[in-house]
Amino acid sequence: MNLLCVSISHNTAPLQVRERLWFSPEEIRSFLPTVRKELNIDAAMFSTCNRTELYAFSSDAHPLAFDRLRDLLIGAKSVHDIPTDSFQFLTGVDAIDHLFRVASGVDSLVIGDVQILAQVKDGLFRAQEAGTSGFFLTKLFHAALHTGKRARRETRIGEGAVSVSYAAVELAQKIFDDLHQKTALVIGAGEMAHLTAKHLRGKEIGTLYITNRTPERSKHLAEMVNATVIPYEEFKDHLGEIDIVVASVTAEEYVLTAHMLKEIIKRRNAGALFLIDIGVPRNIDPAVRKLENVFLYDLDNLNGLVHENETKRRNEMPKVTRIVAEEQAEFTVWVSGLHATPTIAALSDLIESIRKEEVAKNINRFDPRDRELVDLVTKRIINKILHTPIVNLKNGSDESHSERLHTISALRKLFGIDGEKDAEHEA
Amino acid sequence: MGFFVDSINILLPAFYFIVVWTYGKAFFGDVVWAKTVKPRLLISTVSLHFLYLLARAIEFNHPPVTTLFEILTVLAFCVALAYLMIEIRSKSGETGYFILNIAFFFQFISSAFIRDLLEVPEILRSNFFGLHVGAALLGYAAITLSAVYGFLYLMLYHQIKASKFGMIYAKLPNLETLERMSYTGFKMAFLFLGIAILVGFLWLPQTFLDVSYNDPKLVGTILLWLLYGIGIAAKWLGEWKGRKVMILSVWGFGLTIFSMTIVNLFFTGFHNFY
Repeated sequence: MNLLCVSISHNTAPLQVRERLWFSPEEIRSFLPTVRKELNIDAAMFSTCNRTELYAFSSDAHPLAFDRLRDLLIGAKSVHDIPTDSFQFLTGVDAIDHLFRVASGVDSLVIGDVQILAQVKDGLFRAQEAGTSGFFLTKLFHAALHTGKRARRETRIGEGAVSVSYAAVELAQKIFDDLHQKTALVIGAGEMAHLTAKHLRGKEIGTLYITNRTPERSKHLAEMVNATVIPYEEFKDHLGEIDIVVASVTAEEYVLTAHMLKEIIKRRNAGALFLIDIGVPRNIDPAVRKLENVFLYDLDNLNGLVHENETKRRNEMPKVTRIVAEEQAEFTVWVSGLHATPTIAALSDLIESIRKEEVAKNINRFDPRDRELVDLVTKRIINKILHTPIVNLKNGSDESHSERLHTISALRKLFGIDGEKDAEHEA
Repeated sequence: MGFFVDSINILLPAFYFIVVWTYGKAFFGDVVWAKTVKPRLLISTVSLHFLYLLARAIEFNHPPVTTLFEILTVLAFCVALAYLMIEIRSKSGETGYFILNIAFFFQFISSAFIRDLLEVPEILRSNFFGLHVGAALLGYAAITLSAVYGFLYLMLYHQIKASKFGMIYAKLPNLETLERMSYTGFKMAFLFLGIAILVGFLWLPQTFLDVSYNDPKLVGTILLWLLYGIGIAAKWLGEWKGRKVMILSVWGFGLTIFSMTIVNLFFTGFHNFY
């Protein structure tokens, strides 16, 4: 199997190196045909903030040269000073295993990262657009996507928030049934406030208010997350209608005190009030925790939740590794089935078993003297039918290696030749 | 028929135990096969339970609601059936373990102590009696469901308050959903108990010569109904939210069990027929 992977990732290189080899979708689209042109190989790649990976498959019997692929990558971005040890080079089964692990999220910086699956899918899509995916890489990427989906469906590798801002929103979903009918207020316009507001909008919060001491900043954030601005001096008047408060400002004193909230709760005819305090120093008086139906979470609580979720995800890794191994084994069976000899044997077996079955069913209709002849004649017919396809499969006709693999795969599919049975046969 | 009734009477607690165990496996152990088979097991058990009640009614020629232990088996059936409908409608089976434990408990007690009654007083065959007991049973089933959801709400409420993110936090539906489910049961309990009391008041004087409005069970049920009424009014007026109503639903269930067992067994009145 002439498969090769060149990878630069958070495992092999720091951010300042990785960012120099980051390819935009447009760059990938123009780079892949160059690879095809220069090396006459199939290629697919994806590039994220944590990794850039190039997969290559050659129909040539000679092994692919890592150096050529690496040089093409470096040359495309004109970053010739990147050291060789920043790259990881994998071949054959190791490359398959690597791609399956990446798609499953176990190789990500944030274990169980949900975005990576879409990025692998984009990688295949761009290679198909560029016309460089080829038959083998298309199948490989589809298998990787299947593995990633299984990992997420059958394990909890992608469950639980692993960022503070997302953990806050996830907690809100554990309190409220439908965020679409809720109102949230974000106090502050810094990075954390921005991220939390973005996640709330992403979860389709009904109404989103932003307030900040500097009106320009709150206006800017409100435009980004489609929210309404409330003047900072007036936000306390709106608290009666708010279900979720995110406080993230720098203030000497509490922005919300227990006394203030006690009065507000008396006035509001609504259910729970969820307070997220991500300010340092804290913005909300911790004494509000004692109030009924009021839930207060500060940075420590949220970090605790994130830490627990990370641990849970790590605990799921053995299950994912098992899925990767299963899928890899299945893919390897498919690959080995692509070789001509086992396919010819499987096809001959299949046709012979059909012949035998039909002869056995109908043999009594013939005179006992003719029975041996019937057996002989049917064997001859089968052999004659199979002769040309078998010769073509053995010799490969005028096809390229890739086309030949495609033909073998189509033939196996057409006749329903079982991969496992074939593997046993080969063994 | 008698053999069938006796056999199923023994088998039903075992079936409920298997159902509860499977729901527990799915909830606590995340076992894939348990998740797949649990609704089928529940449907089979509820169907078997229905056949049992039907066979019992035919065999003994009266609806199986004449003694505490007959009532308990009907109550177990109502709770399991109501939960099954909730699971089918909401497509969520996370709370099944907690609710079906109650159904198992009721059925276990019933199977252990139920007697075969061939002769029952004529009044227990009347239509008014059927309506009265039917409404009361639906009320008790609603009380049970409301209490279980209320209990789950309180567990999750305290876990979220205390920043504990264990299994309960991960698996249970959100607080608002639990509150809504519990409060629906709460309102149903008020409605059906109200109907049971009303029918009782209309029917009693015509049937019982020794009717007494001081009957401990009658007084207990009216107090329970009033308690639920107060809860609904307090929530409607906005005085009580979330936690307080849930606490009341759990207390309501405790009082119901007290009324059904202690009052029924130890305080005699016209409500006792055996």
